[in-house]
Amino acid sequence: MSLSRLYCVVRSDLVKVQSSSALVSKLWGPCTTREVNTCSTQRASVAQHNSKPDWNRAVSEAEKIVGYPTSFLSLRWVLSDEIANVALHLRKLVGSNHPLLKTAKNLIYNGKNNMQAWGLIVLLVSKAAGHSPEIPDMEQDKAAGVLHSQRALAEVTEMIRTSHLVHKGLVNMNSRQPIAAEPDDMMFGNKIALLSGDYLLANSCSELANLRNQELVELMSSAVRDLAEAEFLGERDEQNNPLPSRPLPKEERQPATEWDCIIDPLPMAGVIGSAGREWAARHVLAAGALLGKSCSAALKLAGHNSQLQTQGYLFGCHLALAWQAFLDLEAFTGPEPASFSLVGAPLAFTLEARPELYEYIEAGRKSVHDVDYHALYKAVLEGDGLEQTKQLQREHIACAVQVLDSFPNCDARTALANIIVAMHHEHL
Amino acid sequence: MLVWCVCYVVHIVKRFVAVVAMACLSSSRLCARVQDKLLCQFGHKVRKQTVFVKLKPPGPSPLRIFGKTCQRVSTCGPTCGTGGINAAATSGLVRRMASSLQSTSTGSLPDYGTQIVDPYRLLEDDLNGIYEDIRSELERNTNQPELNTIATYYFDGQGKALRPMVAILMARAVNYHVYGENSALLPSQRQVAMISEMIHSASLIHDDVIDQSDFRRGKPSVNVLWNHKKVAMAGDFILAVASMMIARLRSDDVTLVLSQVVTDLVQGEFMQLGSKETENERFAHYLTKTYRKTASLIANSVKAVALLSGADESTSELAFQYGRNLGLSFQLVDDLLDFVSSAHAMGKPTAADLKLGLATAPVLFACEKYPELNPMIMRRFQEPGDVQKAYELVHKSRGLEQTRFLARKHGAEAARLAADLADSPYQKGLVVTTDLVLNRIK
Repeated sequence: MSLSRLYCVVRSDLVKVQSSSALVSKLWGPCTTREVNTCSTQRASVAQHNSKPDWNRAVSEAEKIVGYPTSFLSLRWVLSDEIANVALHLRKLVGSNHPLLKTAKNLIYNGKNNMQAWGLIVLLVSKAAGHSPEIPDMEQDKAAGVLHSQRALAEVTEMIRTSHLVHKGLVNMNSRQPIAAEPDDMMFGNKIALLSGDYLLANSCSELANLRNQELVELMSSAVRDLAEAEFLGERDEQNNPLPSRPLPKEERQPATEWDCIIDPLPMAGVIGSAGREWAARHVLAAGALLGKSCSAALKLAGHNSQLQTQGYLFGCHLALAWQAFLDLEAFTGPEPASFSLVGAPLAFTLEARPELYEYIEAGRKSVHDVDYHALYKAVLEGDGLEQTKQLQREHIACAVQVLDSFPNCDARTALANIIVAMHHEHL
Repeated sequence: MLVWCVCYVVHIVKRFVAVVAMACLSSSRLCARVQDKLLCQFGHKVRKQTVFVKLKPPGPSPLRIFGKTCQRVSTCGPTCGTGGINAAATSGLVRRMASSLQSTSTGSLPDYGTQIVDPYRLLEDDLNGIYEDIRSELERNTNQPELNTIATYYFDGQGKALRPMVAILMARAVNYHVYGENSALLPSQRQVAMISEMIHSASLIHDDVIDQSDFRRGKPSVNVLWNHKKVAMAGDFILAVASMMIARLRSDDVTLVLSQVVTDLVQGEFMQLGSKETENERFAHYLTKTYRKTASLIANSVKAVALLSGADESTSELAFQYGRNLGLSFQLVDDLLDFVSSAHAMGKPTAADLKLGLATAPVLFACEKYPELNPMIMRRFQEPGDVQKAYELVHKSRGLEQTRFLARKHGAEAARLAADLADSPYQKGLVVTTDLVLNRIK
């Protein structure tokens, strides 16, 4: 904890994002039904020297605004004894097929898929919302504009997310499918994956305890619970890869319930079999809940009222879902991929429209690799699944932006808007 | 012969009366207590080894035994019933077992100073329903049925429930120490007992995946039955729910203390991955690892209950040290039992530590006499024949004896610390527990 304060000294200069009066109206496509007030607030301003917003640029600009590289994959992480231990053991796995290596690679690779941006989002929300005047000076990282506790929270968010990803990187040795690799390697890899994930989880428990805010601990623990639940939702193959559920005809679908629960587990009524709700439930549990609850927690730390905290939760949730829609669409732009997510939105909508296609999914019960991706790819392109997904993304972005509007105008808010623009489907 | 029987029965009835007079006990326990004082009908003296049998929740599963064979006691059951004591007691006895511990004196009227104190029975009402409550808390926290099934698998009441028992025992003892006779168990303290069992189970679940174990508590381990990824997630789920319960206690200090446990557990596991070169380093390494993996949970949960009680710092520290010594003693006995017990009695396979490449106390002690164990330790007993050879050498050496000695030392230290608390049945229970831990056979 104290090490992270050291790095405050090493931060780069704050760069104010150039404000411009250009409104990025294409952020809201022709289909939003909401009236969004766009005139008095600054929208995503584009970096002066390049007219096309770029994800990496948006992220690195944003990082400067909140101080130093926010990812805990910084020196502190590398200096830890346990992680040195893990790295040593990971080396033994090189050359094997264990998914942990891929996870580790993804952690470091700087792409849209990486989770380094999660902590960043939390910090940006923290800065954008400001804090109430009662917070003592000592707790503020004045130059960066966030509280030390919020910084710790951002770290915790990343640790929890990483831990979940690492735990997802286990290999199920009970699978009846032959595992195309040395069983010893796989078991050893499982051991390392489990221990590393546990280490991260334990660390996040400690850091949360140090914040001395029990409501926060409860909130973030409920996020860990949600992540665990996500791995059980719906059908799975033998390696626990998710499969979409068979779409139910409209008559059989149960009425949906409201999702404003925060501490309680996500209600499952009306979820399975309904394309839109199942997609949303799955990704709220897997991503939205964590990001939403972290944003909410950051606002709680700053002393904001519960209404704003709820707004923060909604912001994080919608942002995560918009992000997920973006990732789902990515597979369908550019050349045909060898495989893609079977629980992505485009496929879900396509299956809903043409339930007979579900037979292709059945082939994947033992392993998702057995599915005929080519046939499904064609089916998706033929139908309007992509268009529906884009619409879905627009809706979530609109919801996120609406919350953003309620924050005071500042560079952090602009940076967040930039990030949202960068993940808009038009920039695929 | 008949006269003898009658006299005997009269004797029993007299005892019956005497025992009834002293404390409010349920009828089923009464029968058992009578058994305590007397010998079985067959005159089988209950020997020095503590016979200690735990209560089990109603159900078809086999009775848990924490001590000696149940046979002797069960044969007492029906005959005890025919001895004239009410039938309800008999049926109660069939389901619950007597516990008896060697007492130092045979005072005629029981008083807590010399009387047999059975902590599990003492806390029967508090412990009753601990597992049900844990299960319902887990169930309340998920809408995914399979997650619920996996998560509640080890909460079927078949475990020893040592950790909750010690937590509640310490809670009551400290409450008595601070507030006197009219102290009650706080709901928050009972929550800590549940939390400690949940954290323990979560770590067991992850351990099973790591160690690829086959059996635990007499049934297939959780990793045998389910997808490993789901099992890992179930472990995380239990930990998350336990964290939520900790947070609901709304105590900063308790949260800090209990979150330390999780860190220690993981660090202990990491320590197990590595190994040390020299013998001296190895033993220190082993003790630290043992503290982190076992004793830390017990120590910190009893410290937490002491904090919740409002005890001062020295009392909390006393509780912590008690838990630490008890935990160390417990683990040393566990390591010992791995070499001496049979798989049937333990409910899990034996020589498991050697097969996992772990050098525990008996092996480390045996190294002194048989230095050929050193290279075997360094290569983690990987070569064929290593496990067998090491097993034999340990038995030939004084390693087992030395381990037991060390366990006794820690047990004695724990008992000494407990003696500093105000006199109460619970405080006696704490002392008795150190004995239980030492003399268990599984």
